Amino acid sequence: MLKFILKRLGSALGVLLAASLLLYVLVINSGDPLADLRESNADNREYLMEQRIGYMELDQPWYARYWGWLSGASKCLIGQCDLGRNINGIEVSGLLANAAASTLRLVLLATIIAAILGIAIGVLTAVRQYSGLDYIVTFLTFLFFSLPVFWAAVLLKNYMAIEFNDWLVAPDISLTTSIVIGVVAGLVMQMLLAGSLKRRALTFVVTAAFVPLMLQYSLWLNFYRYPQMGPAVIVVLTALLALSVTAMSVGLKERRVLVPALITVVLVLGMYYATFNLMLDPNAWILVVGLILAVGIPAVIGKLMGGRLSKMAMGLAAVVGFTGASLTLIDHLFRAWPGFLQIKSRPISTIGSSTPNLQGGFWDHFLDNATQLLLPTILLAIISLASYSRYTRSSMLEVQQQDYIRTARSKGLAERTVIFRHAFRNALIPIATIAAFDFAGLIGGAVITETVFGWKGMGEMFTTGLNNVDPNPVMAFFLVTGSAAILFNLLADIVYALLDPRIRV
Amino acid sequence: MSNTNDKMPEQLTSIAEVEDARLARQEEKSKSQGRIVFERFIKHKPAMISSAVLVIITVVAFTSIGYGPLPGWWDKSYLAAGQVVDGGRPTMSLWPTWLGGSGFAIGEHPFGQDSIGKDYFALVMNGTQKSIIIGVVVGLVATFIGAVIGAVAGYFRGWVDEILMRMTDLFIVIPLLVLAAVLGQMAGASSGSIITLALVLGLVTWTGLARLVRGEVLSLREREYVAAAQAMGSRTGRVIFKHLLPNTIGVIVVNATFAIAGAILLESSLSFLGFGVQPPESSLGLLISQYQNAFTSRPWLFWWPGMIIVAIALSVNFLGDGLRDAFDPRQSSRPRRRKLSLLNRKG
Amino acid sequence: MSTEATENFALSFQDLKVTFETEARDVQAVKGLSLQVRPGEVVALVGESGSGKSVTSTAAMGLLPGNANITGEARVGNVNVVGLDKGKMRKMRATDIAMVFQEPMTALNPVLTVERQLTEALELHGIAYGKEATARAVELLTMVGIPQPEKRIKQYPHQFSGGQRQRIVIAMAISCDPKVIIADEPTTALDVTVQAEILDLMRELKDRLNTGILLITHNMGVVADMADRVAVMFQGNLVETGTVEQVLLKPEHEYTQRLLAAVPKLEQVALTTTGLAHDSMTAAKDRELVLTAKDLVLEYDMRGTKYRAVEGVSFDIAKGEVLGIVGESGSGKSTVAKAVLGLLPVAEGSLLVKGNNLPKLSPREAREVRKTIGVIFQDPAASLNPRFPIGDCITEPMVVHKVGNKASRTKRAQELLDAVKLPRNVINRYPHELSGGQRQRICIARALTLSPELLIADEPTSALDVSVQAVVLEMLQDLQRDFNFACLFVSHDLAVVDMLADSVVVMQNGKSVEQGRVKDVLHAPQHDYTRRLLAAAPVPDPHQQAVRRDAWRILNSQK
Repeated sequence: MLKFILKRLGSALGVLLAASLLLYVLVINSGDPLADLRESNADNREYLMEQRIGYMELDQPWYARYWGWLSGASKCLIGQCDLGRNINGIEVSGLLANAAASTLRLVLLATIIAAILGIAIGVLTAVRQYSGLDYIVTFLTFLFFSLPVFWAAVLLKNYMAIEFNDWLVAPDISLTTSIVIGVVAGLVMQMLLAGSLKRRALTFVVTAAFVPLMLQYSLWLNFYRYPQMGPAVIVVLTALLALSVTAMSVGLKERRVLVPALITVVLVLGMYYATFNLMLDPNAWILVVGLILAVGIPAVIGKLMGGRLSKMAMGLAAVVGFTGASLTLIDHLFRAWPGFLQIKSRPISTIGSSTPNLQGGFWDHFLDNATQLLLPTILLAIISLASYSRYTRSSMLEVQQQDYIRTARSKGLAERTVIFRHAFRNALIPIATIAAFDFAGLIGGAVITETVFGWKGMGEMFTTGLNNVDPNPVMAFFLVTGSAAILFNLLADIVYALLDPRIRV
Repeated sequence: MSNTNDKMPEQLTSIAEVEDARLARQEEKSKSQGRIVFERFIKHKPAMISSAVLVIITVVAFTSIGYGPLPGWWDKSYLAAGQVVDGGRPTMSLWPTWLGGSGFAIGEHPFGQDSIGKDYFALVMNGTQKSIIIGVVVGLVATFIGAVIGAVAGYFRGWVDEILMRMTDLFIVIPLLVLAAVLGQMAGASSGSIITLALVLGLVTWTGLARLVRGEVLSLREREYVAAAQAMGSRTGRVIFKHLLPNTIGVIVVNATFAIAGAILLESSLSFLGFGVQPPESSLGLLISQYQNAFTSRPWLFWWPGMIIVAIALSVNFLGDGLRDAFDPRQSSRPRRRKLSLLNRKG
Repeated sequence: MSTEATENFALSFQDLKVTFETEARDVQAVKGLSLQVRPGEVVALVGESGSGKSVTSTAAMGLLPGNANITGEARVGNVNVVGLDKGKMRKMRATDIAMVFQEPMTALNPVLTVERQLTEALELHGIAYGKEATARAVELLTMVGIPQPEKRIKQYPHQFSGGQRQRIVIAMAISCDPKVIIADEPTTALDVTVQAEILDLMRELKDRLNTGILLITHNMGVVADMADRVAVMFQGNLVETGTVEQVLLKPEHEYTQRLLAAVPKLEQVALTTTGLAHDSMTAAKDRELVLTAKDLVLEYDMRGTKYRAVEGVSFDIAKGEVLGIVGESGSGKSTVAKAVLGLLPVAEGSLLVKGNNLPKLSPREAREVRKTIGVIFQDPAASLNPRFPIGDCITEPMVVHKVGNKASRTKRAQELLDAVKLPRNVINRYPHELSGGQRQRICIARALTLSPELLIADEPTSALDVSVQAVVLEMLQDLQRDFNFACLFVSHDLAVVDMLADSVVVMQNGKSVEQGRVKDVLHAPQHDYTRRLLAAAPVPDPHQQAVRRDAWRILNSQK
């Protein structure tokens, strides 16, 4: 296993080296870096040209320039990066830190969201092959495949940012609109939940009636400017979740599972009050540790009380704990929202990756980053989601025709178990390899998205660098994204090996 | 059959006889694989609608403003500026009068005018031509290179295969868009013609198809008819081009269509970033890039080129889906008859 | 029948009809079947492809696809499972009715441990949980004869051999003590010696657990070995039922009679007595040698490491002779054929075709030699290019060697179609319009196109139904008599080789263990392995088979 990973890493580093040479040579030959100065009428033209030749080492042959870059870049391994200067003589390494952080955050978030949602949708459509849901999702994935990223970005910018901000000034949803939303929601819900005609009709009626009421009620509460939840709602929601997951998996009679789940609900309530003051202005570490505890403690309770069903009890309690913690987090976000609106009246922003000089506490910065990230992430996630869902669907359909699925059915397993225990893991194996390519595609997409949303990220570094025939920023972009891609690829290989014992043992 | 000695299959008592009797009685015309695929394809409604849309867009794009020296039926040029009428608003109306619209009309500038009064319809049609040419050229180049390299790599394995796999790895490290942007910038600096751009894009987009063909050939070369061809002394060229490649045609055709859609989107992205088609030439991506900030003031300048890109790409993708179903009906996106009859029986 | 209705059957069908709705038309797969299986009884359901035997069993499991329309009754115990609620059907699987599948290599989930796959049914049906379930699973593995079950239960399916995987599938099937087990061609994918072991295991388990077994098979030998009663199906109809003696020894229906007649039989074999050493192969003096292999060594290159598939094999074939090579999977028998066909380089030794040493020839000379060799492969579905019309398939050797023009090629194709008894108008049809047996006949025609002096037949009939196999073999024999070519016939089926070949090479693990004239080697074997092979191959006569089974047990225990 370790040998397998090292081998992959070795060949990946070789490819990285070859790619760097290729890219470097291509970039320095893609135009004339002095073009603008040659046409300029400035008095100090000669001096400027001399200066630029000095910065960019244009007097050196290409291999010397590449070697210079390579030896500087390899110092990154000992933590002393020297990535050269850009066309204006500024150290590239200095520019890199901020740019890399915001771009990688965007790409990683989009990948995670796209992978989780895409795989879920893919499984659902494969299970419901030829249903209305399948047709609609198929059409949407094709539409997403066919959308130019930048065009969709402009649309999103207009409708989800500018118009939403306008609306938020005085939120209003007319009665007709709420009814239409209700009907659409009802149609979607009955499609998702499926079942017999009677059940579908019931789902539709309940949703179509409930949604407009909720919309109007939320307006009456002025929820969109002053959202609130409170401990009561959190407890009710977590308790409902605990009951329903238990009922769906083993049945409510199974005390060994039900009791840990309900204990977790009580814990959530206790922790809500215990951490209330701490959570008013926390930091990132507190949140991470809190989340780990929120999953870990219920899992331990589940393991201790679960008996022979300990695995099931652990899982369910952890899910309940995680949900409770997330709801608590959302509750605090809700509390911070009105204050945030006061310092940033148009919350969904279309320019940049964070608002400069924003004054405020942790939650304000958190919300600011979130609102800035929202649109680019949605955009990238949607595009990558289409390919994940498509691949998962076809992989699931392929796996469902295998002999071992028939064997599983012949044991009398429920359809749910057949799909999740037997089909799903096998279907994931090919997806792991696709993920690496998808990640590279997303970095390409990020270049475009950053341009549209005016981020000073890696993408901007690449486009301006390339425009100026300036290799060092382009190579810095490559170094970061290429290394990230290799790491991601390695991760995919590990997942692959974990999923497929034929590789492992 | 008129021969009275022939027993009907039902009365025979040996499988071999039953089969032979069936073969002798088989009267329907013999169908080649290609014919069967074609028949399945024309039953695929989304693919047929998409084909129609594509044909219409292509015909209108090339006949309206003409191509090269050939004149078209649309009298306005995409180069000539003019007076801006009614803020450049589109004059086309498709809303019938009995629904409260202004009736069906094309008008002077159906897609409106840009800021210096150029006819936007002519401009968009010009961009559409570029997109279609680039899509088709890239599709052809990438498919040709990909199919040949994939087949060779799959058949001989060894070093060709090794190179192909390393090329594939290369695209994990350098995103396609990035490499294409660098090459596009080079192409733009050297000649600026869209054919050069298309050829360059073709040179970087073949790896996906090559991998698929390689996989297909790897499994086909284990088939016994390939072994039989080798055993009877066929030359390698004959084995690859007569026995292997024709049987990967499904993969090739389907992915060629996806490659066309991908190329059109790639070109528009590059042009948007400024590394693709360079002014004064125009393309749909370039138009969107120029007018992205006109969204609120003159939305038609933004909508038309975008809608056409989406329409072309969507149609090509659906076409590819139809072809895939036709070549490989196992994972069809449409149910066969059986599902419908299952529902009927419940009633 | 009426008295039987009150009896307690493990499984019974009453007028079962299954129709599939397909794109083109409705296909009636089972046309009214009535059959009973008592506890502790093995009923064999026999038939060739398209007989509806597998559909019947799948219907009993409730696993038919959505386009199947089922009427009649299929009772498991006292419950009719036709139209039974899905949830109730699920509860009956494994506890009342279980199944053993044909393909052990694909029947187990590759990503789950054997333990998980065994215990999940136990936990699901509430038989045992956690450690108890694991203990029970170990017990099951012990029962089916997996060595070191405590250790191996943690392993994944790919770490087991084919025979062991089938044992695991059987362990799964018996895990919840079902009333009846459906075994759908349980040994078809296995070698004869492994088949004998699996059949032994099933017989033993059945007696111990008093389970009814519905054995679905096309192999009359397996029927004779296992079954108490036999039901014969043909084209969706049950044509004959009776005890194993009745059906196999005194068949009444014409179809059964012809089916039994089609089964190649091994002549009486002396398995236990030690015969005399065989005299050397060169009996006749004036043999015109076509193929001579001397100390042949063949290697596969597995990513740099050489793997020796054949080691030191020598044989020769003269004009008009048939040499059979027999052995189990992995014995290297097909590798020899590949080397003669030039698909694999010769590592050491010599391989002479009409005096020309193949490994030493230039490509041009090799091509000339190729012209004189015809080939037939195993899989009729894969051995014709799906894009070529039949005419092109047959005349391809002429095109490759630039023989004749269009008209003469067409004429040759028509002659050959006559020779393989297919109508001339198939010349424009495509392979997918023909059945497996017909395609194999096309392959024979193609092999004969250039009137070869040597025919290589690599398991040419093992993918075919028994009666189709008989037609193809007879055709091969006739053609060989007419054209007088030399033939290298590779097969796993000793009876076929016995019927067709003049001399035989028995291979095991890449080496020849015994070779000589068929009547010596197959009728008075010297080597233990040959004897075991012969004893393991079941014959379609229950009395003889009982004798052979005992002989096999003795031989196997001496191993």
